[in-house]
Amino acid sequence: MAIDTAGLTSDDLKTEEMVINMGPQHPATHGVLRLLLTLDGEYVTHVEPVIGHLHRAQEWQGQNRTWFQYQALIDRVDYLSGMFTSWALSRAAETIDECHVPERAEYMRVIVAEMNRITSHLLWLGTYLIDLGAMFGFPFYPFREREKLLDLFEAIAGQRMMFNYIRIGGVQREAPFGWFAKLKAFTEEFPDRIDEYEAIVTQNPIFLKRTKGVGILKKSVAMDYGVTGPCIRASGINMDLRRFKPYSVYPKLKFEVPVIEGDGDTWARYMCRIQEMRQSNEIIKQCLDQITGGWPEELAERRKSCNSCGKEDCANCGGDLKIMAKKQNAGLRVKAGEAFAAVESPRGTLGCYVISNGSDKAFRFKWRNPSFCNLSVLHELLVGHPIADIMAIFGSIDVILPDVDR
Amino acid sequence: MTDEAKPQPTPSPAPAKAEPTPLEIGRYGKILQANGIASKRLPDSCGVETVEIDAKDLQKAAKTLRDNQEVKLNLLNCLAGVDNLETFDSVYHLWSYENTNEFVMKVSIPKTQVAEGKLPDVPSLVPIWNAANWHERESYDLVGINYVGHPYMRRILNPWDWEGHPLRRDYKQPVDALNDKNPHSMR
Repeated sequence: MAIDTAGLTSDDLKTEEMVINMGPQHPATHGVLRLLLTLDGEYVTHVEPVIGHLHRAQEWQGQNRTWFQYQALIDRVDYLSGMFTSWALSRAAETIDECHVPERAEYMRVIVAEMNRITSHLLWLGTYLIDLGAMFGFPFYPFREREKLLDLFEAIAGQRMMFNYIRIGGVQREAPFGWFAKLKAFTEEFPDRIDEYEAIVTQNPIFLKRTKGVGILKKSVAMDYGVTGPCIRASGINMDLRRFKPYSVYPKLKFEVPVIEGDGDTWARYMCRIQEMRQSNEIIKQCLDQITGGWPEELAERRKSCNSCGKEDCANCGGDLKIMAKKQNAGLRVKAGEAFAAVESPRGTLGCYVISNGSDKAFRFKWRNPSFCNLSVLHELLVGHPIADIMAIFGSIDVILPDVDR
Repeated sequence: MTDEAKPQPTPSPAPAKAEPTPLEIGRYGKILQANGIASKRLPDSCGVETVEIDAKDLQKAAKTLRDNQEVKLNLLNCLAGVDNLETFDSVYHLWSYENTNEFVMKVSIPKTQVAEGKLPDVPSLVPIWNAANWHERESYDLVGINYVGHPYMRRILNPWDWEGHPLRRDYKQPVDALNDKNPHSMR
């Protein structure tokens, strides 16, 4: 710098700290996060996230609506991974009710949930590259694949984002004919597409400059703040509920949990998500092969022989071949009791703590949202970084604001 | 929305609380007992040991379980405030990053012990886990439990000037000037 510093002492060069408000309408805050930044020149010395702009009282609504009504609302808790919120709630209710979910339904749940994990990570990938300044071109590649999956979601659940597909006791409906074949075609080509993204991004020098060694999340800090999901696996802690506390049919499936040893920087979090997409793709492939009862086309043929009798002991439509344990109606009740059920969502441990008093409404709902817990660690990551890194770091923990504010 | 205009019947109390015969002390209860902390075992919540402890023992119990090398409950997974009709409960779900242990701890403050216009006091767990920070603020905001020793006890989800605590059973919704034609109706 061409400043003549002769005759100046370090006191003369000091700048005063400045408080700057960032958001809530900032395009890179993925919703409405407001950050109160205290800056020393270009560098952040203190951050206070102000949340709650999207508070919709989801817990209050859960306590004032019947189970049946509330099921349709909870996809909005985390709109990028609605399957997981439905799944957490269903698991909580099923645990209290001691309801056995048919195996075919569990496979369907795993398939749609892993698809949803891929769509969520793809959207993250596209927007994250925008955060880093790759405004043109790249973000459309992940959205191309995401669109295919959303079309499949639309075919099976009727909606592209707010699915209401996983229900208490099973899933809403059987996949339409041809759906499995389309999904299989997608899983065949998807690894090549990930290679494409990686070819553009992973070793890109600009990307490496922006992410390597930036926003280091140490193990001890992460554990103190209760961080979960890809963020903690990028810090070297192997905690994925699908293996850690297995649920559903995950014990029957072969997949690895990507854990990135090392610093736990922004690049590691990117790498962890990329590898997770590959694993999710493998899981879907296996499920398509292993699913109890086979593809819907085969099952429909088999059901012709018994005329879809729907009896519990029928070899073609009973037991584990059903997609719903018991037909739901609007007066759905759950036994008295309390449970905490958690699933591994794309952002981490998504828990649902439910107290039921045996009526058609829950007594108390409490969501344990991964974004909420992961966001609370933000100030530890940002302090000491320049303003330009804020979006790189904030984007890398993949926070979704409706999930924070509920 | 019309059905919500009627006065709603008081919900029946949440799950059966105390059983006539005291339950046997469990694995985590024994660890607490060895460190001089009394606990009362409650019926398991879906297979997870649940105990109730005194508010004054809370911080010590949490620290004991976090640092205990056998159970290593080092993840405060969930912290929920509950208005349980007769009591205010603060429920802690402790997990571990290293093993599959789970444990539920409850602190129960009877409403009769809470003075008119005051909030129930529960010790804060922020000195032990920073994870408790936002959860406790949320519980204060929505249920109105005051966590003593919290560094920044303010509302987190609702606006700072919101009145009342929405998840309390006796909460009245404010008049909605935008959607409600009659400003005097308390929907």
